[in-house]
Amino acid sequence: MGSCLDKYQELLGQLQKQADIMQHTSLLLDPYIQSQGLDKDGLKEHCRERPGAYPSKDALQGLGRWEFLRTLDTTLGHVLHRLTALRRDIPRAQDLEILNRAKQNIRGFKNNIHCMAQLLPGSSETTEPTPTGPGTSPSPTPTSDTFQRRLEGCRFLHGYHRFMHSVGQVFREWGESPSRSRRHSPHQGLRKGTSRMQLSRKNKRLLPRGQLPR
Amino acid sequence: MALFSVFQTTFLLALLSLRTYQSEVLSEPLPWAPESLKVFINSTHQCLHLQWSVHNLAHHQELKMVFQIEISRIKTSNVIWVENYSTTVKWNQVLHWSWESKLPLECAKHFIRMRSAEDDAKTPEQSFWSNWSSWEEVDVQNSLGHDPLFVFPKDKLVEEGSNVTICYVSRSPQSNISCYLEGVQMQGEQLEPNVTVFNLNHVAFIRETGTNIYCKGDQGDSIKGIVLFVSKVLEEPKEFSCETQDLTTLNCTWDPGSDTGLLKQLSQSYTLFESFSGKKTLCKHKSWCSWEVAPESQEMYNFTLTAENYLRKRSVHLLFNLTHRVHPMAPFSVLFTDVSTTNATMTWKVHSTGNYYTLLCQVKLYGEGEVTQHNVSVEVDGEQLFSGLEPDTEYRAQVRCANANHFWKWSEWTHQNFTTAEAAPSEAPDVWRNVKSVQGHSVVTLFWKPLSKLQANGKILFYNIVIENLDRSSSSKFLSIPAPANGTELNLDQCSYQIHVTAHNSVGTSPASVIIVSGDPGNKEVEEERVKGTEDGFSLSWKPQPGNVTGYIVEWCDRPRGPLCDLQWKSVGPTTTSTVVSSDAFRPGVQYNFRIYGISTERVPYLLEKKTGYSQELAPSDNPQVVMSNLTSRSFTLSWKDYSIESQPSFIQGYHVYLKSKAGQCHSGSEKAVLSDDAVCCKYKIDNPKQKTFVVENLQPESFYEFLVTPYSSVGEGPHGAFTKVTTPDEYSPILIRVILPMVFCILLIMIICYLKSQWMKEKCYPDIPDPYKSSVLSLIKSKENPRLTIMNIKDCVPDSIEVLNKQEGTRKSLTETESSKPTYLYLLPTEESYSGPGPCICFENFTYNQAASDSASCGHVPVAPKAPPSQLALLTSPENLLKALEENYMNSLGEIPAGETSLNYVSQLASAMTGDKFSLPTNPPEPALCSEYKMQMAIPLGLASPPSSGSSSLSSFTLLDEGEHYH
Repeated sequence: MGSCLDKYQELLGQLQKQADIMQHTSLLLDPYIQSQGLDKDGLKEHCRERPGAYPSKDALQGLGRWEFLRTLDTTLGHVLHRLTALRRDIPRAQDLEILNRAKQNIRGFKNNIHCMAQLLPGSSETTEPTPTGPGTSPSPTPTSDTFQRRLEGCRFLHGYHRFMHSVGQVFREWGESPSRSRRHSPHQGLRKGTSRMQLSRKNKRLLPRGQLPR
Repeated sequence: MALFSVFQTTFLLALLSLRTYQSEVLSEPLPWAPESLKVFINSTHQCLHLQWSVHNLAHHQELKMVFQIEISRIKTSNVIWVENYSTTVKWNQVLHWSWESKLPLECAKHFIRMRSAEDDAKTPEQSFWSNWSSWEEVDVQNSLGHDPLFVFPKDKLVEEGSNVTICYVSRSPQSNISCYLEGVQMQGEQLEPNVTVFNLNHVAFIRETGTNIYCKGDQGDSIKGIVLFVSKVLEEPKEFSCETQDLTTLNCTWDPGSDTGLLKQLSQSYTLFESFSGKKTLCKHKSWCSWEVAPESQEMYNFTLTAENYLRKRSVHLLFNLTHRVHPMAPFSVLFTDVSTTNATMTWKVHSTGNYYTLLCQVKLYGEGEVTQHNVSVEVDGEQLFSGLEPDTEYRAQVRCANANHFWKWSEWTHQNFTTAEAAPSEAPDVWRNVKSVQGHSVVTLFWKPLSKLQANGKILFYNIVIENLDRSSSSKFLSIPAPANGTELNLDQCSYQIHVTAHNSVGTSPASVIIVSGDPGNKEVEEERVKGTEDGFSLSWKPQPGNVTGYIVEWCDRPRGPLCDLQWKSVGPTTTSTVVSSDAFRPGVQYNFRIYGISTERVPYLLEKKTGYSQELAPSDNPQVVMSNLTSRSFTLSWKDYSIESQPSFIQGYHVYLKSKAGQCHSGSEKAVLSDDAVCCKYKIDNPKQKTFVVENLQPESFYEFLVTPYSSVGEGPHGAFTKVTTPDEYSPILIRVILPMVFCILLIMIICYLKSQWMKEKCYPDIPDPYKSSVLSLIKSKENPRLTIMNIKDCVPDSIEVLNKQEGTRKSLTETESSKPTYLYLLPTEESYSGPGPCICFENFTYNQAASDSASCGHVPVAPKAPPSQLALLTSPENLLKALEENYMNSLGEIPAGETSLNYVSQLASAMTGDKFSLPTNPPEPALCSEYKMQMAIPLGLASPPSSGSSSLSSFTLLDEGEHYH
C-alpha cells in the first residue's frame, strides 16, 4: 500500500469521485448483461438487486463515520470475492479484462478507505478497518445452476452499482456541511484519548486529523 | 388339387399343436432370470444406468445371454423403448446397461423391467425368455424440492444442429407458465398436467456463454431457466502436413477450423500419435505440433492427428518418408568474388541435412530489367559464375535450395547485391549545335546528350572538347567541361571549325563525336511546310538528298514559347527520310517548328526543310484587339494589325466579322448568323489570315451597331466575347464641319492680324500720354532754377473750384437739356485775383478718355460725386477734407446710383491744350494764358457717356490750385 494522502478534503474528494465512477453500470453490469445474453425482454427486469444484499442508503447514512468506513470496506471485500467467482462464467478475454479492471478500482478504493480511516481521530489504535464478522454479504452462495447463477451475478452487480451510488452520496454529505449530518461530522470525538469505538458508539462528532476545535 | 388341400390342412394342425407345447414350456421360470435390478440416474447426461446380476450360474460357467429391457414413461403401459442386450454372463457377474433419454428424466416418471434368455445364435427365435422382472420406477420429481417451477435439462451441452427436448415442471398447475428461448416464446405440448415439453430442432450456436431458455408464471415474480450450451461442430483438421528442415525435428501443421470452446467446454485439443513408434504427444498449440525424430533414423512415419472435445473426436492420418519431407533452410554466406566489368562469381553455403543428401539450388540474377536463372547441384557449398554482365551495373542475385532427390519444397530465398566494375564509355556522345552570328562572330552553342547507362559504362566525369580551325590548321583549342553539363557556348570567328567532343569516366574515353561549324552558314531560305501532329508525335518526312549524306538531324524546341526553347534534336541514318518526333513536352495548342538538316560527308550540316505544326490544334482562345477608324455615316474601318497569327493555338485561316444591327438586314458579302445567345447578326468572312483590316459598309446614318472580329481555324473560331458598340453619325455633320472649320480659321486669322496690327492702330489712334517728367516744360522750369517747382501730385492739389454738373435724376431728357445743365464752378480757394504765387502753372487737358467706373483708381482721376450737395462742398476748407469728402461722396454715390445707371463713366483726360479736339474745349474756360492745364472730369454713368450734343459740355469740371500749381 502506498503512502496515504494526509489532506482530509482532498482524500474525501477522491473518494467521492471514485464512488461516482464506480456507480456507472457501464463498468461492470452492462458488459456482463451483454456477455451473458441477459439483454432480453423478460430477463432484464429480473436483474434487480436482491433486497438486503447490500446496505441501503438509509442504513449507510445512519452509520457513524467509523462504522460507515468499516461497512464499506467489508462489503467491498465481499464484492471482490464475488467478482473472482464470477470469472468462471466469463469466457471471453475482453470481458475478463473489464472484470479485472473493476477489481483494481475496488482495491484502490479500499486503500483510500484505509487512508480516510487513518485521518479520523483515534485511528492510531486501529491501523486498518477490520472486516466485520456477521456483516452484510452481498451475495448468496453461488449455485451450480448456471442460469440461476447468471441471474444472481446480474443482481449482485446491479446492487453493487447502487451501493456505490449510495456511498458517493454519503461521502458528499461528509463534504457538504458538517453541521447537516451529525453522524458524519469530522468534528466528532476530537477529545484526546477517546477511542474510536467509544466515539462510534456514542455517535459523537469527529474531526479530521489535525483539525482543531474552535 | 384335393390332395394338396388335405396335405396343407394336416401341416397347419401339426404346427398349431407344436406352438401349444412351447407355450406350456415357457410358462416355467428360467433358472437364469435377471435379479437384483437396480436403476441409477444421471441427470446431467439424462441417463439411466441399470445394474443387475444373474444367479444360479455354475462356477466358471459362462453363458451367452440376451436381456430384453423395456422402458415405459409416465405409466408402465406406455412403453417407449425395448432393447435386447446380448452379453456373455459369468458366474457372479454384475451386469450394466445404460440408456440415454431424450426427455430429461426430471420431466416424467420412468419404469424399467427386463427379462433374459439364453442367446442361441443358431435359432434366436427359439429362445425361451425368463419372466419379466418387476417394474422399477424412476421418479426424479420427488427429489426436486418445493420450488414452484423447474426447467430441465440443466446446462446441457449439445452440438449445433442437434434436437433438444426441454420441459418445465410446475408445482401449481393452475398458473399459466410461458417459456422463452432468447426472449422468443416457445410453443410446447403438455406431457402431464404439471409438465410441458418443448422440442427444439436444429439448435443454433448463439454465444460462448450458452443459450438462455427460461420460463415464468403469469405473476412474473418467479423465473426459472436453463442454459443450453450449443457447441460448434468439431471439424476435421485440414491440410495436415509434416516436414523437417534439419532431419531432427518434424514440424506438423494443420488448419484447425472453428473453435468449439464454450463456457462449459474447453476448446478442442489435438493429439499426435505415431503408429510405428507408438509414441503420442498432446499438442500445445491449436494448429501445429513438434515431433522429435527418432535417433535411430526412422524413415517412415504414420501420424494420426486427433481433434477432440467433450462431444466428439476427429482424426486424420499421414504416412510419409522422412527424406521426402525435407524443407531445407535458406542458404547463407552468399558472397561475390572476382567481380570484373562483365563477370562475377557467386558462392554460398547450405545447412547440413546429413551426408547423403544433395541439394538442388536455384540461382536468379536480376539486372537491367532482365532475369537469368541457373540451377546448381550442391552438397555443402555452392558456386555460380555470372558472365556477360554490363559494366558498372548493380545486380541482385538470390538463391534457394531443395532436396535434389525427392523434391518437397524450396527453401526461402537469400538475396545479395553486387556491382560490376566500370569500363570506358562505349559510344560517342550525340552532339548538335546552334549557330548565331553576332557582330561578325559566330556564337556556337554545343549540346550533347548524356550517354545512357549502357553507353557510359560508369560515371561520366567530364567532357573534352577540341576545336580545330580548318582554315588555319595549326590553330586548335581545348576545353574540358565537367559533368553533368550537357552543353557549352563557343565564340568563334568566321572560319570553319571542326569540333571533337568526347566523354570521360574514371576508366577511359569515349569515341569522339565530330561536327563541323562552317564559316559560311549557307542556310538557304526554305519554305515552311505544315505538318499535322498527333498524340503520338509528329510524323516528319523529307526528300532524300541526291548527294552523299552521312545522316539527317531533326531539330526542334520543346518549349518554343519559353525564354529557353529547350533545343532538341534527333539523329537518323542516311537512308532514313522520315521519322516520328515525340516528346513528353509536346502540349496541345502549341506550335512546334522543326528543321531538318542533312549532314554531309564533310560533317557539315545544312538545312533541308522546315516543318511546323501542332500536336493538337485548339480553337483560338483570344480575339484580336480591334481598332475602329474612319467612322462615317455609312461605314467604318476595323483593323487589328497587332494580332499575331503565329502565337495562336492553331493555324489561323481567316477572320469572321460579326455585325449586329437593329435592322438585322445583311448586305452582300455577308451572311446571317445566329450566335449562341440566339442573337442574329451579319457575318463577314475574311479568308486571308494576313488581312487585318476590314471596312464595314452599307451602314445607316445615326444607327447603332455592334461588331466583333474573331479568328477561325480548322478546329473552330475564337470566343464570342463582348461586342464593340458604335453609332454612325448623321449625314450632314461632315459637310457642316467642312464649312465651319474654314470659316473659324479665317476669323481666327483676321483676329491674329488685328492683334498684330493693334499696336500700330494704337499708335495711330491712341498715342501714349507724354510723361510730364520728360516734358520740355520741366526743363524750362529747371532753367529758371526754382527748386520748389516740380510735378504736382494729385493729392497735393487743393482744388480752388469744382465744376458741378447739375444733373437731373430720373429721366434722360433732363440730362439732354443743355440750358439746365450748365456747369457750375465752385471756387473753394482764392481765384487768380487772390493768387499771389509767383511760378507759372502747367495745365493739361484731355477729353478723350471715357473709362468705366471700376478703373477709377487710376492716378490723377479723382472721382466726383455726381450729386454732391453744395452744403457739403462748403465744408471742405482744407485739401485733405476736400479729398476725403470727395471720396466719401463718391462711394456713397455708388450706392445711390440706380441699377440701370451703376456704370460710371469717368471723363478724366489729359489733353494738351494745344490739341484742337472739339470735345476738349470747354466753354469759357477760366484759364491763365501761360498755364498748362490738367482738367479732371467727374465720372458719369456709362449710359450717359454719350458725347455731348452741343459745344456746351454737360460735364462738370473743377479746378485745383495749390500755391501756384494749378491743375484743371
